[in-house]
Amino acid sequence: MTNWNSVKWLLYLGLYLIPVFLLPWAVSRSWVHQRGGTVSYSPKQLFERGELGLLSLVLACGGIWDVLRSTFAPHTIAVASVLLAMGGIMAMTVWVETFCRQRSGTDWHPQRAWRDSRSLALFVFSMAAVVEILLDRLSRLGAQ
Amino acid sequence: MSAPAVALAARQSRIVVVRLADSAEVIGTLSLIYGALLVIYPVTFPNLIVKSWERGELLPVMMLFTFLLDTALYLRIAQRLSAKPGMMAAACLGSLPLLVVGGASFILQKAVKYTLASEWPNLHARVGEEILAHTYLALVAAVFLPFLAIRLLQQFKNTV
Repeated sequence: MTNWNSVKWLLYLGLYLIPVFLLPWAVSRSWVHQRGGTVSYSPKQLFERGELGLLSLVLACGGIWDVLRSTFAPHTIAVASVLLAMGGIMAMTVWVETFCRQRSGTDWHPQRAWRDSRSLALFVFSMAAVVEILLDRLSRLGAQ
Repeated sequence: MSAPAVALAARQSRIVVVRLADSAEVIGTLSLIYGALLVIYPVTFPNLIVKSWERGELLPVMMLFTFLLDTALYLRIAQRLSAKPGMMAAACLGSLPLLVVGGASFILQKAVKYTLASEWPNLHARVGEEILAHTYLALVAAVFLPFLAIRLLQQFKNTV
């Protein structure tokens, strides 16, 4: 039988998307509107320097926090925390690399930075979602 | 030799440059499938994994799956970039997925022993959850770590 109760964790993680995608987009529109401009910026243009990598690190920290509070064996907690942290750090590295390339005058490609940060953000987001589903299953087991 | 032919030959003799985003996309898809299976089949899918672990089939299946997935992903990147596979990457992809899955299995044994020695209620179900978690984490690690190693080795080679 399908257990849709676990989907609530996806909604919980989805809340991260509001401050990450919608808020900057809304602020940019408001900024342009205040100055009487007509141009609008897409999320791709707003995050073309790999800023999604910074969000991924925040999301990874949230996942690690939940894993550390769980009743899984210490071995499982350690493996899950390390993998989430590695994903978050590698995602953040995209932003660091893009920043260094841009500042040093080395050739940088917005398309590549956007693609890399988007893929690594998907990795961290989906991993955090599965970890939350596993934690939800474990907590329901403890409540039985 | 004409200029386009020289350019093509130079491109084909270039070694594949791996980016972490390539493996991240695959892990993201794998995670979404795993999560969806857990939500849609909350009893059948975990039972399948736990039963195959008890029969000792899970470890070889995961080794074979991750090895094939990593190889296919690397060859796809090579084809997309029109570059030739490197020896260093082949060595990493040949050994690391097997080592990672083997290491994860060793850690799982320790976690199961720890759980069985604890005083939690529902011990059998709790062991099942540990197996589910370790299976997923081993899958992620066996795809992510070999490509991370290749990426870091490539950067190290560029700097020395």
